[in-house]
Amino acid sequence: MVEAGAWWTLLAAPALLLGFAVLAVTADAALTARDAGRPVTVSAAMRPLLAVPRALVAQPRRMPAPDRMLWRAGVVSVPVAAVLSTLVIPFGNVAVADLSVGVVWFNAMEVMTWAGLWLAGWGPNAAFSLVGGYRFLAQGLAYELPLMFALISTATGAQSLRVGDIAAAQYGLWYAVWMPVAFVVYLAGVLAFSFLGPFAYPVGQDIAGGVLSETSGVDRLMLQAGRWLWLAAGAAMAVPLFLGGGAGPALPAWAWSLIKTLLVLAALVAAVRRLPVIRADRYVEFAWVVLIPLTILQALVPALVNVNR
Amino acid sequence: MDLTGTMLRAAAARPRVLVVCMPGGAAVRMAAERHLRLRDWPPATTPAQADLLFVAGPPCAYLHTAVERLWQDLPAPRARAHVRTADGVLAALDAARARLASPAAQREQEPPAETDSRQPQDRRREQSSDQDGTAGHAFLEEAAKDGERGEEPSPDRSNGRYTGSGSAHSSLKQHHGDHGGEEKRGDGGDAHEDHQGHGGHGGHGGMEMPGGLPMAGQGEDRDGLTLDRLHVPLGPLLSDWPTGLTLRLVLQGDVVQAADLDEEPLVASRPVESFWVQPWLRSAVGEAVGSGEAARRRAAARLDSLGRLLVVAGWPAEAMKARRLRDDLLDGAPAAALASRLERLGRRVGRSRTLLWLTRGLGVLTAQDAQAAGVSGPAARADGDVAARYRQWLTDIRLDVARLDDPSALDPAEESPRGRWDARQPPSAALVGLLPQLLDGTELAAARLIVASLDPDLDELAAHSREGAARG
Repeated sequence: MVEAGAWWTLLAAPALLLGFAVLAVTADAALTARDAGRPVTVSAAMRPLLAVPRALVAQPRRMPAPDRMLWRAGVVSVPVAAVLSTLVIPFGNVAVADLSVGVVWFNAMEVMTWAGLWLAGWGPNAAFSLVGGYRFLAQGLAYELPLMFALISTATGAQSLRVGDIAAAQYGLWYAVWMPVAFVVYLAGVLAFSFLGPFAYPVGQDIAGGVLSETSGVDRLMLQAGRWLWLAAGAAMAVPLFLGGGAGPALPAWAWSLIKTLLVLAALVAAVRRLPVIRADRYVEFAWVVLIPLTILQALVPALVNVNR
Repeated sequence: MDLTGTMLRAAAARPRVLVVCMPGGAAVRMAAERHLRLRDWPPATTPAQADLLFVAGPPCAYLHTAVERLWQDLPAPRARAHVRTADGVLAALDAARARLASPAAQREQEPPAETDSRQPQDRRREQSSDQDGTAGHAFLEEAAKDGERGEEPSPDRSNGRYTGSGSAHSSLKQHHGDHGGEEKRGDGGDAHEDHQGHGGHGGHGGMEMPGGLPMAGQGEDRDGLTLDRLHVPLGPLLSDWPTGLTLRLVLQGDVVQAADLDEEPLVASRPVESFWVQPWLRSAVGEAVGSGEAARRRAAARLDSLGRLLVVAGWPAEAMKARRLRDDLLDGAPAAALASRLERLGRRVGRSRTLLWLTRGLGVLTAQDAQAAGVSGPAARADGDVAARYRQWLTDIRLDVARLDDPSALDPAEESPRGRWDARQPPSAALVGLLPQLLDGTELAAARLIVASLDPDLDELAAHSREGAARG
């Protein structure tokens, strides 16, 4: 059973999340080094972390007539929302706060990214940046509803919005197994709210980096870190929602959480490189015509099972 | 302990590089891309993201002002390098890193000018024209029209217009870019006073403009809505974009309402020799050129185009593989060494259903239309959309790599990378001419994909103008 952690988990959770995010970044760097024909070494994998000293010495960007307050608020809210989302994610049998509406909390934090990225695109008062902000809204319209139905499927299955209850309800059979559609849609949603890989549409190279195009220094670091923190948070949340949480033979619960999170994270990092950017104009159509009906049907399955129980 | 120095050195170990290619700079650009890849110096797409501005190729008077603007927009710590030949790339990169890592060099560096020495009037003109490229809502149609009909295109003015361009930044920013190179985190609190002077743009009904920038005008869009119109130039210094090409777009949302080709750079750029058609040019003046060599160049040209398309399509992992193959080809690697990687790239990209789904139906160019427009290369043979064109490239690359060792002499009628080579009618000229009509009504992302799938080489046109000059 999941229980609320002691006060120090409030510090441990963000640290753990940061650790996962750094691992994801280094794994991605190692794969890039392999593709580029460079030697794949530990130091090669760690090189992206040089962005941190770089951000600290870099001059911040100033634009004509920026909306400085909203810009800053948007930039900051992306990583902050990612960190806040982890409060309800149990690691092993401990969560910082096992809210009775944990799933809703996670979803709400994720939707905060919408506002954050949109403001980050709006703030600098530049065309490509603004287009990038718009693009995230279009992408949000496409991914959010299927993602919500995927989350609802798990909550329906466990008849609870408490993340701990959902993990506990999966004894014997993971939701990933009998709700495969919800699982896949959820993973796609994780890539989408981290705007990475196939969902890097708001920061597309075709608009010179979009939301990222006018940021430099710490602002840029915040947004980039926000992406990978969200990826890590999404991977961590997949474990209690779909993979039975900390349950498993022999090893302690925290070890199982760790192993499962790393596996989901590895799958996501691999997926980031496998696909080109899926433009929202095409994805919206697919999401509304195919994914939404599919995920509604998926949510129906646990509902019917529970009614008949 | 010298904390700043340590941080600078750490940051300089992996600078982000904005590579800007001048006409005739393709070889230098590729040498740079190759070294950057091997050193893991990631590419930047805008000055805001860059530490190092790398200008590849011979100096170009026409782009000089635009390059200077890019430099002004680079946040400190920063360095720049201008490299004319491919041999100079390595030394220039090392020197740039040393400058980035040295606190003394960064301090000495002349801080970006806060105000420039030109007449206020010039600056005001520039401002109204620059906004198209940049500020999200910053466009007032009247202002632009004033600008358009106001004066003859003096060199200063036309250069000014390009700056907003490439990487979507404006000359305006340069005034704010840096308040003192020493304290690198100056706060921007009072950065605006510079604009109060010419912020008025009289005659807009006395409305107060935010930051002195005019508001966007409105117009009917394709769906019958009334939306703001943004005038956004693409090029000439946009990353992953044909060197020297400038398209002036009218955007509503991100739908291209009109695309105008800027003819000026086509004639204004200094005569250069196009790297990609070198074998054909040499064969035309009677030199013996093997057809294997021509096939190698052609395959590399198409891999270069493919790499660019993949970056624009948001698939950097595969783009890097295409560029690596291109570099190996230009390095003279034997076909056998490339075959398996080429095969994998062909499978991954050519058979990608996702990429097909994303590019299907964009920029349809039938064989008939292509022929009528004078297009003869892969774009004509593909007879279809963006997807058909990149698949055609992949097919052609495979055929070319199979005949790298062909010893026979190059038949001048053989296809050059972008079509049948004719010095008076270079194949890229026809491709460029098609762009405005193909882009009309597309979305910005689609427009970029269409341009990348045709990938005209403007150096061919410059070579053509040189021959014209020689003849006349």
